[in-house]
Amino acid sequence: MQTVTDTIDDEGKPLIDADGKRIDEWSECLTLIAQKQDRAAFTRLFRHFAPLMKAFALSGSTLSANHADELVQEVMLKVWQKAGAFNAEKAAASTWIYTIARNCRTDLYRRLQKFDTPLSAEDVSDSQDSEEAFLVLHQKRSRERIRGLIKELPNDQAQILAKVYMEGKTHSEVSGELDLPLGTVKSRVRLALQKLQIQLER
Amino acid sequence: MTNFHPDLELITEYAAGSLPLAQGACVSIHVNQCRRCQRIAGQLTDLGASLFEALQPVPVGDAQLDAVLARLDDEKPLEYSHRKSSPSSTPAILQRLMRGDFSDLNWRNIGSTLRISYLKTGDPDHEFALYHIRAGGRIPEHTHRGTEMTLILEGGFSDANGSYHKGDFLIRRPGDVHAPTALQSEDCICLAVLDAPLRFTDWKFRWMNPFLKLRTA
Ligand SMILES: [Zn+2]
Repeated sequence: MQTVTDTIDDEGKPLIDADGKRIDEWSECLTLIAQKQDRAAFTRLFRHFAPLMKAFALSGSTLSANHADELVQEVMLKVWQKAGAFNAEKAAASTWIYTIARNCRTDLYRRLQKFDTPLSAEDVSDSQDSEEAFLVLHQKRSRERIRGLIKELPNDQAQILAKVYMEGKTHSEVSGELDLPLGTVKSRVRLALQKLQIQLER
Repeated sequence: MTNFHPDLELITEYAAGSLPLAQGACVSIHVNQCRRCQRIAGQLTDLGASLFEALQPVPVGDAQLDAVLARLDDEKPLEYSHRKSSPSSTPAILQRLMRGDFSDLNWRNIGSTLRISYLKTGDPDHEFALYHIRAGGRIPEHTHRGTEMTLILEGGFSDANGSYHKGDFLIRRPGDVHAPTALQSEDCICLAVLDAPLRFTDWKFRWMNPFLKLRTA
């Protein structure tokens, strides 16, 4: 159930990712899994995303290769099970999949540290359920903008974003690790977000 | 009307999933009831997805794929009805931690206007507690040895810097001294997440300081 506005941008060009694939190929796969339990679609998703998940699992550098493989399997099974909750009109497939990977990795860290908690990472993540159509459109535009601008970030800012997001470190952990004052870490994050035009409204 | 929000760096750590559990839970409750922060958290999560997609892929063998495919039969897709969240006014995270409502909790009285209930999140480094201040009641003047996040769940309070209402999110850094007073009109319930115990500066309550330990687990 793809609408025309999902596949073309404001200027009427199809949205293409870095590998020249139509971005919503992944939305289509998720929809096929949800509606038809389509294994071929699942296999396509796996071949694209599993290597990214493994890279993500190993980024934090505290997980063993075995745990990284375990995480990849767990995330892909969740993708299969939860595909019915994906709403192509509201979310990008890549963001939806990234969110599952992020939450599973956090839960795995906590299991390995023997946390005894009634809360899963999913309970504590945001529900991503904007109702208003203009917000959905706004979000879609900002996503394309971020995708484009991210390549232009200076190295020192990109490095810190990678540590916070891909390695899951807090600003103060990053400051300790890079031996930079906390204020410098925060201001680099702030500058990066400014360049990506992510800002709070008044 | 919410006037006080987590700052952009904090929402970034939240969206990246890097905040400690108790702090993440507190930020999450605010974000889920604040459209402005939800919008920004959405963009910050998209940023995470862009970074994720730009990672250098690490090869995953066919054996892994086969192992997952073999397990699909046992893992039937879940049914989703796209249901709305429950109409209850108590945030879902708290419902999960409380098993009941505010009146069922185990409250500890501190003087006549304040009572505290400690909830167990499993975060070993943070205390996660509900503060109930009677209408017009004052919390004795205290200082913070660490970082304190406060989220107002019901009512409101004021201190020397201003007044705060339901939904407002505040953060106090080490050394900030204040003596919040609940609004006259209604009782105030707030969530406080601490990484170090409070220290009372009000002389009538200083005797308690040695007993104030961080209550986690
Ligand atoms: Zn907010």
